[in-house]
Amino acid sequence: MENVATDEEWRVCFSQLAPGLVLFARQWVRSSADAEDVVQEAFVRFWRGNHSIGNRALLYATVRSIALDFLRRNSRRAQRESSASSEMEQSVQPKFAIEDESQQLLAAAVDGLPNEQREVLVMKLWNELTFAEIASALGISQNTAASRYRYALGALKKSFIPQ
Amino acid sequence: MNDFSELEDQLRKLRPLAPSEDLIARIERALAKPANCSAPVWDASPRWRWPWHFIESPYGISLGFGLAAAAALLIFARVEVESPKREIGTLALRAPVSIVPSRDSSAEFVPADLTQVVYNTRDEGLLFPAGSDQPMRRLRSQKRETLQWRNPKTGASLRVSYPSEEISLIPISGE
Repeated sequence: MENVATDEEWRVCFSQLAPGLVLFARQWVRSSADAEDVVQEAFVRFWRGNHSIGNRALLYATVRSIALDFLRRNSRRAQRESSASSEMEQSVQPKFAIEDESQQLLAAAVDGLPNEQREVLVMKLWNELTFAEIASALGISQNTAASRYRYALGALKKSFIPQ
Repeated sequence: MNDFSELEDQLRKLRPLAPSEDLIARIERALAKPANCSAPVWDASPRWRWPWHFIESPYGISLGFGLAAAAALLIFARVEVESPKREIGTLALRAPVSIVPSRDSSAEFVPADLTQVVYNTRDEGLLFPAGSDQPMRRLRSQKRETLQWRNPKTGASLRVSYPSEEISLIPISGE
């Protein structure tokens, strides 16, 4: 619980986690810039909270909470401005460094997953959280987290892998 | 899980884009400040924003419902108090009815009853309220509150019923 890590350890921690955190936040917000704003606020709030540097479940819960608040605010503003743009469709696209066409297809298939499956997949694969950490961050059971992960992989296998 | 090992390998080859240098710099600047610094987390260039965040916050919603409830209270008080006056005929027609009990008035109403019927509760998940370091669970309860006053001298009663919404933030242990 005590924040005993040094500033340098926090910097290293952030540099290691940042790509995955931004990808995680990117599921809910429209742009990389917005995702980075969310990650910045979450990480600094987590750091100021004097939490253990190893409590990744709480860090991801913080990112998720701030991102959802951000999305909620933007969605309402968009409604008020009568914007007909499909915000959700734009906001749920993780961004990867694409090297070839197969990766592009795979990234598109990940984008097409249901939100609850994609967030577990992102946390597990690109952030290397355990199912226990994912369950804690999302407020679900470990079995549910594992099931969503399997469903996500199953859906990707169906849609992406040639039969 | 073995069925998916090949697919997992392919997925892991997808690399998330690296964050911008600007984000790294902003984090560096934030970490350079004391951890208990109360300066705003956002480090972007200052720009004025319409305070939707307040209006849409639980506090803003509570304020809105509070104002609506107060308006409903005034309207219902005006309408319902006048009925017993016509029937009983002992109250001054133009006398303002005081919700706060007065000592020497025949139009003295005293609180008699308060009921709250919660008809819907929704768990809206975890959030971090501004200024709080601990996650909290937000519960939204929709209910109908009914307040009743009674005049012990005349037997007249005043009842106000209005919908209300309450948002509770319940601290949880995140660790």
